[in-house]
Amino acid sequence: MPGFECRLKKYRQLKEMTQEQLASQVGVRRETIMRLEKAQYNPSLKLAIDISRAVEVPIEELFIFK
Amino acid sequence: MKNNNTKLTIILGILCFLLMAAASWYTVAYNDSRLLSPINLAEYTFRTQDLPMLISTVLFILYFFYLFLLLIREIIANKRTERTAQDARHLDPRLGCFGFLGFLGFIGFRTYITDREIFPFVFFLFFGFFGFFYEGKMSDTFMDERYRENELRAQAKANQIASSIILLACVIVGQGKLMGNLEYTLIAFLIVVVLSIALDLFLSKYLLYRYDHGSQFDESED
Repeated sequence: MPGFECRLKKYRQLKEMTQEQLASQVGVRRETIMRLEKAQYNPSLKLAIDISRAVEVPIEELFIFK
Repeated sequence: MKNNNTKLTIILGILCFLLMAAASWYTVAYNDSRLLSPINLAEYTFRTQDLPMLISTVLFILYFFYLFLLLIREIIANKRTERTAQDARHLDPRLGCFGFLGFLGFIGFRTYITDREIFPFVFFLFFGFFGFFYEGKMSDTFMDERYRENELRAQAKANQIASSIILLACVIVGQGKLMGNLEYTLIAFLIVVVLSIALDLFLSKYLLYRYDHGSQFDESED
């Protein structure tokens, strides 16, 4: 997705979480987390907030729109 | 539908069938097959012996009306559960084989020539059942926001393609008679519309599968 960067993978690994664990915590499928990490999916505001709370990183640090 | 309701529906159906069979036997044996053999309703006069056949026919019609109401109720109930469901419905991909029933539509060419009957062309609609193959592959998938987004995207794309084909057919067919025959033109239009609806049914499932599994990427955990 042009102009969209996602740093989720880095922060998830720092928290020592698997994709599966994060997915079940925020109520999505693992495939959705994978797509997010590859910046192939633009999440809803609710999902972005849920993820930022789960990995304890500010939302603007996780998702960058250029 | 609850088990008791299903039993009641089946029992009522069997009763109606038995009643109709008994009334038909009575009519054939004691009433000169009146109301069984074709009659001119304008010349019909009531006889008491007609009562069994009339009553069983009315009951049969009421039973079908009852079945129709049950069907509507089930559809509404299913829509409600679909809206609140967490997982995609469970379906066997082999049900996609029902798509082959679409070939029954070709019978329409035969019936049109022999009886001027064009109804069988509607069977082309069954081609849409090929979509069950892809829906089956997505069985029991957890419907998260990406799934629902893809579902809407697939439905919108399928609708757009189908309606574009119908619109194009309207424009082309509207230019004039096909091979100088208005009937051929209308039949061609019917076939195009039915095939477009089948395509819409199929594409909405196929595209959802494509969008969900689409671009190649490493699915391994990292």
